[in-house]
Amino acid sequence: MSTFCRPTTLADALAALAEPGSRVLAGGTDLSGLIDRGLASPTTVIDVQDAGLDRIERCGAGVRIGATATLATVAVSDLLTRWTALREAAAAAASPLLRNVATVGGNLCQHTRCWYYRGVEWTCWLGGGDTCFAQIGEHERHGLQPGDCISAHPSDLAPALIVSDATVVVASATGIREQPVAALYRRPDVDDRSLLTLGPDEVITHVVLPAPPDASVYLREGQREAFSFPLVGLAVARFGERLVMAAAGVANIPHLLDPDDVLHDLPGNPQSAWKRTVLATLASRGRTAVTM
Amino acid sequence: MTRLVKTVTEMEGRFEEKWVLVEDDGLVSWEAEAALRHVGHPTPRLTGPQRVSGAARYTVDVALPGMLHAAVLRSPVAHGRVTALQVAAAEAIAGVRAVLTPASELGFQQRSGPLHDEPLYAGAPLAVVAADTLAAAREACRALAPSIEPLPFTVDIETAWQEQRFDGDLHEEARGDVEAALAAAAVRVELVVSTPGQLQTPIEPHAAVAWWKPDELVCFIATQGMFDARAELAKRFDLPPERVRVITEYVGGGFGGKQNAGFEALIAAELSRRTGRPVRLVLDRHGEQLDGGCRPATRQTVRLGATADGMLTAIDAEALVEFGMSGWRAVTTPALTLYRCADVRGIEANLRLELRRGNAFRAPAVMEGITALEQAIDELAIETGLDPLELRRRNFADRDQSADLPYTSNSLLWCYDRAAELAGWPDRDRWREPQADGLLRGMGCAAQIWWGGGGPPSHASCRLGGDGVAQVVVGVQDIGTGTLTAARMVAAEELGLPLDRVTVRGGDTAPAIYGPVAGGSQTTPSVMPAVRGAAAAVRRKLLALAGDVFEAEPDDLVVDDGRIRSRDGGLDEPYTAVTAKLGQASIDGSGNRGPNPDGYRANTFGCQIARVAVDPGTGSVRVEGIWAAHDIGRVINPLGASSQVEGGILQGMAYALSEQRVIDRTTGVPVNATMDDYKVPTMMDTPPIVVAFAPLPDTLLNTVGAKGLGEPPIIPTAAAIANAFRHATGRRAAALPLTRARVLEAIA
Ligand SMILES: Cc1cc2nc3c(=O)[nH]c(=O)nc-3n(C[C@H](O)[C@H](O)[C@H](O)COP(=O)(O)OP(=O)(O)OC[C@H]3O[C@@H](n4cnc5c(N)ncnc54)[C@H](O)[C@@H]3O)c2cc1C
Ligand code: SF4
Repeated sequence: MSTFCRPTTLADALAALAEPGSRVLAGGTDLSGLIDRGLASPTTVIDVQDAGLDRIERCGAGVRIGATATLATVAVSDLLTRWTALREAAAAAASPLLRNVATVGGNLCQHTRCWYYRGVEWTCWLGGGDTCFAQIGEHERHGLQPGDCISAHPSDLAPALIVSDATVVVASATGIREQPVAALYRRPDVDDRSLLTLGPDEVITHVVLPAPPDASVYLREGQREAFSFPLVGLAVARFGERLVMAAAGVANIPHLLDPDDVLHDLPGNPQSAWKRTVLATLASRGRTAVTM
Repeated sequence: MTRLVKTVTEMEGRFEEKWVLVEDDGLVSWEAEAALRHVGHPTPRLTGPQRVSGAARYTVDVALPGMLHAAVLRSPVAHGRVTALQVAAAEAIAGVRAVLTPASELGFQQRSGPLHDEPLYAGAPLAVVAADTLAAAREACRALAPSIEPLPFTVDIETAWQEQRFDGDLHEEARGDVEAALAAAAVRVELVVSTPGQLQTPIEPHAAVAWWKPDELVCFIATQGMFDARAELAKRFDLPPERVRVITEYVGGGFGGKQNAGFEALIAAELSRRTGRPVRLVLDRHGEQLDGGCRPATRQTVRLGATADGMLTAIDAEALVEFGMSGWRAVTTPALTLYRCADVRGIEANLRLELRRGNAFRAPAVMEGITALEQAIDELAIETGLDPLELRRRNFADRDQSADLPYTSNSLLWCYDRAAELAGWPDRDRWREPQADGLLRGMGCAAQIWWGGGGPPSHASCRLGGDGVAQVVVGVQDIGTGTLTAARMVAAEELGLPLDRVTVRGGDTAPAIYGPVAGGSQTTPSVMPAVRGAAAAVRRKLLALAGDVFEAEPDDLVVDDGRIRSRDGGLDEPYTAVTAKLGQASIDGSGNRGPNPDGYRANTFGCQIARVAVDPGTGSVRVEGIWAAHDIGRVINPLGASSQVEGGILQGMAYALSEQRVIDRTTGVPVNATMDDYKVPTMMDTPPIVVAFAPLPDTLLNTVGAKGLGEPPIIPTAAAIANAFRHATGRRAAALPLTRARVLEAIA
């Protein structure tokens, strides 16, 4: 049983979060599923949606997005018209109902969808066990990188933010730091199986976008037209001559691609190798879209 | 006159001779040209507003005073032996009122117990807890912490086949000499096709609320057959059926998977019997996807022989079924019946695996069979260079090939022509030309056969009160198909009343008016004639009374639009001119479905055409349109009927594109028994769907001329899509659904 609180200031939220066993809740679309399946059991759930973190505002040449802004507002915000990839990613994620409650911070911090990790019948390597069941079982929709955990990163927003050179502002009771979005993620290892670099007492307060790219696009393929995580999601941005590409669905964290060799590092696992074709196709389409 | 007659009844192709009570209603079937006011006109669903506003009370919404909540502990392994359950720990949790384990003495009898100490599939129920709250019940399930010794299992159809793990006998049906015919054929094709396991995935999971009262067992059950549920509860608990009442006001989808009382009603009743409190048992989503049932996967081989001009000379169909229903073999039925052919064989093996056994799922087995057969026919068209529809026309069977009997009606040829016309089939090759968007497009077709004639017993009553409002009672629940709306239309038609002066009640066994299970597409053709009969009985009595009141000859009077009129136009009075004189009394009538005509087979037919667009760079397949023409006899409510077709097509499309139970090979446990990973289609996946119905009522079959429609529309969709994929890409995928991996491999 968890207790629940909904602080109205960031300071209160951070103080509450400093208590061991507490966990941030935003839209709850991911955390409630994790709790329901016994994958998270916080003693206190701290809902940060009243903590004043939901604004989208101009910030120098760029824009600052509050962590509890919803995907639906990001998708239609007037301030974000020049960040095409981000808007397209926000509009393509999940379904309209989910986008109305799912937040930017929660989207970046959502956990893997690997069906073994989520399934109540298995305790896999990532969940603290010894076996990656996906590698010896069903991994047609998993990542393209071999390793301890071959899960596929689920967030549509992450690659779009990464190619936009976005940073995240992270706060805790002891201070504030800012880091590139890509630095939010880490590859799990035997000693630390977490996919995020956030400490348990930390909360994302904002995502900061610097000046927009000259062009950008988000291309994704799902199993169906809505309500479907990206099988492969590719964000492409062009700053002058510089192309940046990052993808969801191909590695256990968002993956920065070499635009001249997008399949580098991504040999594929036996059942998932088909994703290489999709990634190569999307990369060539994305390149065309941002250079036209 | 009331008689007991012996007649042949059919349900999903199972024929049975039985005694049925019939009362001759003297009605003749409405003719094709009959001018009808309600029947045949699009009519919104009776309960639409309740359903969309949330006012409708489904079984999962039932809340009774003092009600307990039950939760089920399920096997996390495919096969194992439960060596210990921590029952004391579970019982110690606050609010726990009852714990049932395989060791519990139950108040009901069942051949194989409902709770397992040697689970034979992942998700098999091991124990059940009833508690004051659902949270406590779930916590107690966790506290049971089963110790399970794993045992060997097989979840792979190929291994089961090699090990000859048959469930029941190998089933074979043949006519002529298929091997000789194949050897002699000028053209031969052979196709091996795998079809996926598909889960019904009703939005309302299996659910029951049971209340064991001193003199009656009341069960709210999400079931497709409330009378079957009553019979099952009565039999198992050894109660007289009159002391069991089943209420099924609304059902949030069944698709075949909610037959009888089921595990949930039996267990809820048992828990209520023990605790003296009402008990609610609703499967959680994981439980539903693991144990609600499925359409079993198959691997099929179809071999066809034909003359050079496409006349079929041999059809040989073999099917391996991944643990289907026991005793139900119909995968090869379409091969035996859809086309005219003298030398035919169908062989089916049901394989026993450590998987949840299949149960009925919308057109069980036949859809699987059509999916293979119709792809093979498509290959034959390619091999002979014939238009696939022309090939089908040439091999049209005008009588049942297995039984050698004529059909009561068969408009399949009309369906071919109409679907072709709507889809623009003659120009289909233009879709194969290079497309501006770089996609590969193509069109494919497939035909459908299914039973769906319905039959007795099925009863209805009608009561006309002083206010001139008729109340119809039927013995069926509306599982979302619009049955009660159709009943209202038929009664209003016969009574000459506006729709808003007819109410219909179903979904409760208490009135003891029997109706059949909503399965086999039998509801409309079984129930509507009974409704018409009951309404006709009331109409006759009303006109007799009108004769008294107006001093007229009843035979000279007719009802229309809520009024009683004489044929010569001299008299035109409202219904109430007679009914107001009834005081508290009412005019009552009953009706029943008459026997089926002797010496015929009643079947539904249809043809669907699909157009797909394939992205060769990503392997995506998008259905861009489905054109469906079906022969279901008279269409009572075109609005309800087209939405049935749309729903069937969506489920059929999902079978071709996205739905598939995926089983982990190392543990034998389904990995996608959730709704996030089991992909039913969404609105955004829904293609434009164009629906047409053959304009010919089946006047031989029953007094309304209707055949059934629940199952027909799901049957040909997947095959039509697979054939369109073949047309678009020149390749055929060996297995459905057409996942990215399979598509990219097929077109590589
Ligand atoms: C059926 C379904 C389909 C989906 N499809 C897609 C899809 O196609 N693409 C896609 O990108 N996503 C998809 N999602 C995921 C969805 O977008 C995320 O669940 C959602 O964005 C999470 O946001 P939330 O506010 O609900 O997070 P919550 O559930 O509240 O939180 C998620 C996690 O983030 C943490 N958290 C939340 N906010 C913060 C913060 N400010 N700082 C630090 N940690 C925080 C929580 O502690 C928790 O661990 C889908 C989800 C579902 C259920
Ligand atoms: S891919 Fe990762 S999450 Fe999935 S089973 Fe392997 S270790 Fe667990």
